[in-house]
Amino acid sequence: MTRLIPTNLLATTLLLSAMLTGLVRAADAPATPEQVKFYNDEVRPILVKNCLKCHGGEKRIRGDLDLTFRDGVLKGGELGPAVNTQKPDASWLLVAIGYEDDDLQMPPKGKLDAAKIATLTKWVKMGAPYPPDAKPKHTHAEAGDDNTKINERTRNHWSFRPIVRPAVPALRDGGWVRNPIDAFILQRLTSAGLRPVKPADKVSLLRRAYYDLIGLPPTPAQVEAFLKDTSPDAYEKVIDQLLASPHYGEKWGRHWLDLVHYAESNSFERDNPKPDVWRYRDFVIRAFNEDMPYDQFIREQLAGDELETVTPRSMIATGYYRLGLWDDESADPPKSRWDELDDWVTVTGQGVLGLTLNCARCHSHKIDPLPQEDYYRFLAFFRDVKSFQNGRDGHGKGFNQGNFHRRLAEHVKPDDLKKYASQITFDDTKLNQLDAQLSRWDKEIADKLPGGVRDDWKFESNKLAVLKSHAKLLPKGLKGRYEKAFNEREQQRAARANADVRVLAISAERNPPVTHVQIRGNAGVNGKAVEPGFPQVLGFPEPKFDAPKDGARSAGRRTVLVDWLFDDKNPLVARVIVNRVWQHHFGRGIVASANDFGFQGDRPTHPHLLDWLASEFRSQGWSFKKLHKLIMTSSTYRLSASYDSTAYGKDPNNLLRWRFDVRRLTAEEIRDSVLTMNGRLHTPIYGKSVYPPIPREVMQGQSRPGANWPTSGEPDRYRRSIYIHVKRSLLVPMLEDFDVADTDNTCPVRFATTQPTQALGMLNSEFILDQARAFAARLRKEAGNDVRDQVAQALRLATQRTPQASEIDRGIKLIDELKNVDGISADKALEYYCLVVLNLNEFVYLD
Amino acid sequence: MTRPTHDKPRATFCNRTRREFLWQAGAGFTGAALTGMLAEDGFLANQAVAADGATPFRNPLAPRKPHFEPKAKSVIFLFMYGGPSQVDTFDYKPKLYPLDGKTIDVKTFGRGGHKNKGRVVGPKWKFKKYGQCGKMVSDLFPHVGECVDDIAFIHSMYAESPIHGSAMFMMNSGRLVSGSPCMGSWVTYGLGSVNENLPGHIVMLDPTGGPISGAKNWSSGFMPAQYQGTIFRSEGEPILNLKPPAGMSRTTQRKLLDTLKAYNDEHAAKHIKNSDLAARIASYELAYKMQMHAPEATDISGEPDHIKVLYGLDDPKTANFGRRMLLTRRLVERGVRYIQVYAGGNHNDNNWDAHGDLEKNHNYHAGRTDKPIAGLLKDLKQRGLLESTIVVWGGEFGRQPTAEYAKGTGRDHNSYGFTMWMAGGGIKGGVSVGQTDELGAHAVEDRFHVKNLHATVLQQMGLDPNHLSYFFGGLNHRLVGVEDTEPMNQII
Repeated sequence: MTRLIPTNLLATTLLLSAMLTGLVRAADAPATPEQVKFYNDEVRPILVKNCLKCHGGEKRIRGDLDLTFRDGVLKGGELGPAVNTQKPDASWLLVAIGYEDDDLQMPPKGKLDAAKIATLTKWVKMGAPYPPDAKPKHTHAEAGDDNTKINERTRNHWSFRPIVRPAVPALRDGGWVRNPIDAFILQRLTSAGLRPVKPADKVSLLRRAYYDLIGLPPTPAQVEAFLKDTSPDAYEKVIDQLLASPHYGEKWGRHWLDLVHYAESNSFERDNPKPDVWRYRDFVIRAFNEDMPYDQFIREQLAGDELETVTPRSMIATGYYRLGLWDDESADPPKSRWDELDDWVTVTGQGVLGLTLNCARCHSHKIDPLPQEDYYRFLAFFRDVKSFQNGRDGHGKGFNQGNFHRRLAEHVKPDDLKKYASQITFDDTKLNQLDAQLSRWDKEIADKLPGGVRDDWKFESNKLAVLKSHAKLLPKGLKGRYEKAFNEREQQRAARANADVRVLAISAERNPPVTHVQIRGNAGVNGKAVEPGFPQVLGFPEPKFDAPKDGARSAGRRTVLVDWLFDDKNPLVARVIVNRVWQHHFGRGIVASANDFGFQGDRPTHPHLLDWLASEFRSQGWSFKKLHKLIMTSSTYRLSASYDSTAYGKDPNNLLRWRFDVRRLTAEEIRDSVLTMNGRLHTPIYGKSVYPPIPREVMQGQSRPGANWPTSGEPDRYRRSIYIHVKRSLLVPMLEDFDVADTDNTCPVRFATTQPTQALGMLNSEFILDQARAFAARLRKEAGNDVRDQVAQALRLATQRTPQASEIDRGIKLIDELKNVDGISADKALEYYCLVVLNLNEFVYLD
Repeated sequence: MTRPTHDKPRATFCNRTRREFLWQAGAGFTGAALTGMLAEDGFLANQAVAADGATPFRNPLAPRKPHFEPKAKSVIFLFMYGGPSQVDTFDYKPKLYPLDGKTIDVKTFGRGGHKNKGRVVGPKWKFKKYGQCGKMVSDLFPHVGECVDDIAFIHSMYAESPIHGSAMFMMNSGRLVSGSPCMGSWVTYGLGSVNENLPGHIVMLDPTGGPISGAKNWSSGFMPAQYQGTIFRSEGEPILNLKPPAGMSRTTQRKLLDTLKAYNDEHAAKHIKNSDLAARIASYELAYKMQMHAPEATDISGEPDHIKVLYGLDDPKTANFGRRMLLTRRLVERGVRYIQVYAGGNHNDNNWDAHGDLEKNHNYHAGRTDKPIAGLLKDLKQRGLLESTIVVWGGEFGRQPTAEYAKGTGRDHNSYGFTMWMAGGGIKGGVSVGQTDELGAHAVEDRFHVKNLHATVLQQMGLDPNHLSYFFGGLNHRLVGVEDTEPMNQII
């Protein structure tokens, strides 16, 4: 809101004339008959025609403003009183109809003509008289449901209650119960008159454990070893091995990346890369691999810059704040800033707390007891985090993180810094010279370019293209010299990037501005000032803040937030995270709406089990690996996916867990498995992103086909899918087809769609044909030239079980027919058979 | 679907109806299972059968019933990427001509920032009256001019951003940021698509490349991928991965699929009542049929010469866009629900973004699209398809009446006021609504936000813009946003 008081000369004139004619009334005096006549004859027709449709004529009242009666006008709407009887000039109503403010223009369809504005202005100056009998056409219903009030009942919502460790049911179970999880599950099954199905066979269980923990299938040797191992703890040993595998972090880190909508570019016109963001991904993968306790994991991401001892790792973790959309050319910078803050509230609210706090940005939550104020109180914790600045191009001096070495020196002990980045030896001299030279040429060239191209020229990513298309306008030889220096600078930057450890990290300020409720969520329309605070319904005392110490680089609020999240009494955080772990093992959480534990969310199918797990998780030091082992060693996890007509009849959706649910592999699992089949999967852990080939036809959808996609060669293009560069506007088609997480929103649960485009991609794409070819080559190498051996090996690799003779025969028959009837070479026929195998349902579904 | 038995909150603004809940596949239930349940619900109007004649395939894009009797069945959005200038095309401003070269007070906001003054660039083309309605149209569009009696011009459009990136998102999805479904996703989410052998939501790009932000413009955002736009190429293989590998005959491919099916049937038999597995088996049959039928849609060899001429295929200038217009008609005939065609791609003068030489730019882009667009309108009309097809024409914004730079005729972006037009699908013909000021700079009368345009399209498609919602992240999202939005009643 740029101007609160309209400086309307016309209004002033009218005010004078109104005073002279004696029509001005005291604020609370009853309307005179002349005023009523004026209202009825002149004002009301204008209101009826232009305003009442939204503000009182129909059942839905916009902006909470009802113009059909005087108290409605005086009470006003979300902006406050529409008419200010003390200072009529400052009335919102006049601001709105005067079109003085870009954000508030009424009626929205076009400005009223001057005569009508004069009439309304005159009426406002009178104090907005109405006939004494003017009443609202519709009585306002009490807004919202009862659940939106903070009271005894809503405070008692199941997820808001403290976590009390429930007693484990004592059951006579005939030995089925292996650990407390089973006791809770069996109790519900028994009381519903159901029995669990038989346990899974060894191969299915092994396959399940492999995909669940590392996202890859076991090799034939691993299968064989497991089948041979008849010791009672054979399965536990496998779980321990898998939990110790560095691929565990690649699988479970991805679940976290879904929640924080990890992406490596900014979206919008240029969708430029976010520099060094991959280190955040490494932080996440490594945290899982090292079994970093969940409280520490969250603390480093939310407040890694505020730790007692800031470490390179904790600074990298604060990349959490840098994963969102960023408009490098915002048409509305205040709005963009509040959008950025909103993203942190949304991701932290839903991701860590399981609360849709984001619904209270524009108005109080419509379902949950979360007043709008709570949204801004929560947001205020993040208010010291400065806005992302990437430089317009993601290069040069605009870096938010600046030189990591220099920046970290402010936070980190010299020894720690050395440990982390011992090889920092880069000399900036040459780079600075090139920067200076290029910037001089930039100016020179800009002056010679025509209109629109000159704007393009501002962006580094456009430069070579512009240079090429407009070389004729430039002095002879400049293009060549420029290109040479430009490329040299790229090399220097790459060298620096390697030498210099830089991160995409937070930068914060010690004294953030006061946070105001933004009326109707409109950026810059300040309402009440608020202090940082927790959702009030949870009933915690207000947080206390020490004044930031001298030299502090942040406001210190986020540490207070994290302390609260992991306070023993916090009822949500432990429940939300153990539910996610359960979900990723079983396909559906105990609470199906994993990001919403409010009144609108699903209730837990097993509330006691959830609380027991939450309590156990806390008492085991927030250790994920211990939780996995607990879950995976239960009889519940080891159930087969068998059908049982009685159980299916009573509980077709398996809410009570009488069997294990079949699941489709995720997009990443499918791609990684395809590459495992042919032995191409390249499995170093950690590191920079890779760029597998994307078909030209897909690139054609970019405004500059191929831009920012430097296709990787072998073997990088065969790295695990988690390392594929996540460019918001250009996703790898195969991952996109199989429902990879949306890059712009927090994703608690992946879709698992079935569509013909998936089939087309799995049958005809260059990618799949190339993999089938390599798969066939591997078979020839490993299984020799005997078709029977080749087919058997293909099936064994894809399904991890020993194929039946009839299955092998079917493959041989196809290959024979392709050779003998269709005249296809033996090699090609085997390739086509491999293609069939890669399309098997058994390959992409997990029992 | 049996939900856990517990008390749900009473129906309120953000709550979901059962149907909305089912549509919300994001709760962690698979799309196929979901559509299966919808079918059992009697919710899906159609059920296809796979090519084997037996396996029921519940296509996630099967047609769905609209909220009420629709006026239109398909949408064609002719996206004039870059932003055509309103005062040089359809918004006749006689008072602007004599101001050419004069510096005047006018509030503008474009790529060059906020300005309060500017040098007027007088309209560079003459206008004349067309049709019975006497609509003034510039010399850039003589062929479209012949169709004005079927067109409703909206001169008072406004949007929230004059910057391409965010403005494109706004025009396509109603939001300034990416992550929300585009209009085509909303329409296919609401209605499915009639022809299961073709994608329901198609995007055709300019030969120079996609628009900025690429695939984000036809993304389904937080909805599942089945609603996103599929790029359809006018030459060669129309859809990615449609063609079997080189050297693989149809019979060979059939053998592979039969073998695959034999394996999968055995596997499915061990998984009684698993509809996901059945759906995946059937999806291969559907893919097989698509391979056969989709290329037929792009085969224009059977089109008579006078039709090809109507679309400008005989002239190198108009042949490319003409072909895309002709394919658009063929796709509409085949029941494709939503087609977006980009006129212009890449950057700067490869689209309507006339920052430099306005005349050169607009002559080029109008020159290659005018006749094909008119051809499409006339052809749809003569086949009786125009009644049931909404055609939308416009860019992400318009252009300023003043020059961007000290020299030259280039105009900067303008989201304060611009012109779009619509035709067919129950839209009134021969009308013009709304006005910009005398300079054509700001919409001043009967102003229509982009959301009003979206609401109009949904309304004509039989979808209530204020009720078509998708639950995600704790909110019921709608294409038109939080506030109820009216369609443009003056033109329907």
